[in-house]
Amino acid sequence: MPMQPLAALRAIADLRADAIVVPTMTTVAPWHEISPSPLNVSCIGFMGGAAALGLGLALARPERHVIVLDGDGSLLMQLGSLATIAGAAPPNFYHLVFKNGIYHVSGGQPVPAAATLDFAAMARAAGYRQAHRFADLESFRAALPTIFAQTGPALVELETEPVPTARQGSVGNASFAAEAEVARGVLLGT
Amino acid sequence: MDTTAAGPIPAALLVDAIHRCGVRTVLTVPDTHQATTLAALAADPAVRLLTCATEDEAVAIAAGLWIGGDEPMLIIQNTGLCASINTWRGVAIDGRIPLFAFVGLFSREAGIEPRASARSPVRYAIPLLEALGIPYALIDGPGDVPRIEELFHLSRERRGPAVALIGYPTC
Repeated sequence: MPMQPLAALRAIADLRADAIVVPTMTTVAPWHEISPSPLNVSCIGFMGGAAALGLGLALARPERHVIVLDGDGSLLMQLGSLATIAGAAPPNFYHLVFKNGIYHVSGGQPVPAAATLDFAAMARAAGYRQAHRFADLESFRAALPTIFAQTGPALVELETEPVPTARQGSVGNASFAAEAEVARGVLLGT
Repeated sequence: MDTTAAGPIPAALLVDAIHRCGVRTVLTVPDTHQATTLAALAADPAVRLLTCATEDEAVAIAAGLWIGGDEPMLIIQNTGLCASINTWRGVAIDGRIPLFAFVGLFSREAGIEPRASARSPVRYAIPLLEALGIPYALIDGPGDVPRIEELFHLSRERRGPAVALIGYPTC
């Protein structure tokens, strides 16, 4: 049975430490509630860009983990990012893909090939150092400390239930411009 | 060298300008028009050159680099600008991330003003930048190279995009 996305986010938050986190789409609002931080940099306004945004952060700040909370529809928009990330091979990059099979924010339409997509296999073939798939929370929660302790780039595909209807279209009060400004200030000590 | 004439710019002049701007990372989707510049950068230990699968990625990676304290820029071609314009809007205009790029006017005819080009990727480049309010300059010869630093610093001061249109293939 697919896991609940909020439970998966809580498991990630428990191990976040001082990581920079890039949520996008349906994870934006709940992530800000679960793990508020000046180092949350939401990918809002350029759907599909979360992985690339996280790659830039990982290259600029090699001393920190960068965790990207991607969606299946989002990643499909810039699937070539898997090759770009594998080529750059940032050891501090952790790419978690919430696979609910639908474009949730736009009304629940199915993503292409929802039943057969295997992002972990694609990441492995592209050259990610780690690639994993989890369909249940307990297995994911048990494996996550080891995944974060090992070298990236890592892709973790999470089979998740669609989030409640009330969250459709909502990114809360998050703003990419404002969060980028705050995160840069923290990272540069200004 | 006649610095007032229009025509191909030696790659070394462009790389020197990139150094003067303080650029540390160049993100590219390779441009035939700027191949010699990319080759020079690939051999330059002072600059990290990262080839991306798409221009959309290059823009978003540049944003992450800048947030993290790096100094990135892009080298792409006119068709790539068209392909990635929504990401330019979201990242550099709405997101207020400084974003500077060399955009090659690939397939431009010699001696023809870009707006008069028979090739649509050349003809539409300047109107597209103007429609979005993106500052730009046409770098049409060695004498125009100082404009590169002006535009780079403008992108940082305005917290937004700026473009140097590379008018002829670099040599």
